[in-house]
Amino acid sequence: MTDEATARKEMDALVARSLEGREIKPNVVFAKLSDLMKVASRGMVNWSRVNSIWPLQFGLACCAMELMAFGSASTDAERRGFLLFRATPRQCDVMLIAGWVTKSMIPEIKRMYEQMASPKYVIAFGECATCGGPWWESYNIVKGIDQVLPVDVYVVGCPPRPENLYSALMKLQKKIGGEVEG
Amino acid sequence: MLTRINIGPIHPSTHGVLRLVVDLDGDTIANVEPHIGFLHRGVEKLVETRMYMQSPPYMEKLDYIAPMSVDELYVSTVEKALGIEVKERAQYQRMILLELQRIASHLFFIGALTNDMGMMFTGFMWGFRDRELILRLLEEATGQRMFYVNMRLGGMVNDFHGDFEQHVLKTMDYMEKRIPEYEKFLEKNPIFKQRTKGVGVLKRDDAIALGVSGPVLRASGVPYDVRRDNPYYFYKELNFREMSLNGGDSFSRYRLRVMEMRESMRIIRESFRKMPEGDSTGQMVKLRMPPVKNKVVTVAREVPRGEELMYMVAGDQKPYRLSIRSPVFINLHALNHIAKGHRLADLYPILGSLDVVMADVDR
Repeated sequence: MTDEATARKEMDALVARSLEGREIKPNVVFAKLSDLMKVASRGMVNWSRVNSIWPLQFGLACCAMELMAFGSASTDAERRGFLLFRATPRQCDVMLIAGWVTKSMIPEIKRMYEQMASPKYVIAFGECATCGGPWWESYNIVKGIDQVLPVDVYVVGCPPRPENLYSALMKLQKKIGGEVEG
Repeated sequence: MLTRINIGPIHPSTHGVLRLVVDLDGDTIANVEPHIGFLHRGVEKLVETRMYMQSPPYMEKLDYIAPMSVDELYVSTVEKALGIEVKERAQYQRMILLELQRIASHLFFIGALTNDMGMMFTGFMWGFRDRELILRLLEEATGQRMFYVNMRLGGMVNDFHGDFEQHVLKTMDYMEKRIPEYEKFLEKNPIFKQRTKGVGVLKRDDAIALGVSGPVLRASGVPYDVRRDNPYYFYKELNFREMSLNGGDSFSRYRLRVMEMRESMRIIRESFRKMPEGDSTGQMVKLRMPPVKNKVVTVAREVPRGEELMYMVAGDQKPYRLSIRSPVFINLHALNHIAKGHRLADLYPILGSLDVVMADVDR
């Protein structure tokens, strides 16, 4: 007997054992069809997720100025699908933490994050959001938003230029599209 | 029966993280209570642990719409405490950069005010497009887009490069054509007029009693300007016009800022004409300074938002105590007085016309 035939025989035995004592319902076929549909449409869903990232309009401190410059005419953010800034977290995919995070802001930021629909992403924009920045010695500052929320992309600079945010969002697109791990 | 509602601290038009607790009688505002402190990071205390010339980057983050104005104020305070003279050419250069910064800040104000009224696209985009041109000029002069740190004791880090004057004058020519467009777009717009004219009136006596300063005070009919009444650098030698409006409403506060932009452009042109030749670079940054003990200095400057004041007790190598009088903190206090009796929808145009920056309030 060849190896292939042995393997097939073992596989059949495994399947038979797993189906033992189970009733085969007629809707199994339909469930399998819907699974197939899910697999087939995953690419489509991912494609649309990648190309319409809606950021939350939420500025904390200085970096919010660059965030607004990003949304203005000089950096045309819409051409790659980083659409309008939304005012409510329920319509958003990505949260940009732009500015230093104080201890009194933490409950509010957590609440906003929990209101966003999954899948949701976080970008730490600027020194203060990545590591506390110049305020690392201060008694009221959280040293990096990653102590509270899971961060996908870090952008460094004090403040980063609007172009840096553009490249960060392009990195996030790669991550959503499955081109990079991490 | 009053209804109490909470707005913020995260709200698209609170100009930062400001929480407002509003008591409403129907749709009419009975009381507004600003809750502040969401950006507090103890900068006055941090500065006490730093050498004198390590602090300018901290100071710039106070007023992030016009960072250079606060940086310059801090450096001037240190210069006064140590008794350092500023070079004449550097004084003119500082005036030019500060006025450019004022124009950028007022353009931001126009964008934010129109955004608060719901006309997000045209006003916001126009304001930011022209602000970008000014930022490009400042980047040319200093090498940074937002936080410049280009002041040294007694002068600047770099002199202006050869073509800078031409670039500035070219941009000013362009801006002079743009400002009438803003006026046409906003002042002939019936919605803008209805939502600002006669809304949020701050009377002359109330403005003085509340201690507001800057454009908010001047729009209420008091022509007080630190540049004119307590002149620093060469402002006294310039042909400086007195500016004030009698309306006291949101429209006057907007109008006065447009007038100030015109005035700033005139100051920039005049400063370029009068600027002497030579070198404007200041002293090299030294960590150890000649010792000063218990010298108390107070310096006031007209920043785009009002009169900012620094009080410093100079210690050996480090400030013993630095206290900042922020114009925004005091202007924000007037909000309750102004907004009382208006509809809830008018709260944001009123807050926008005060032009608050929360980092300067919380410190």
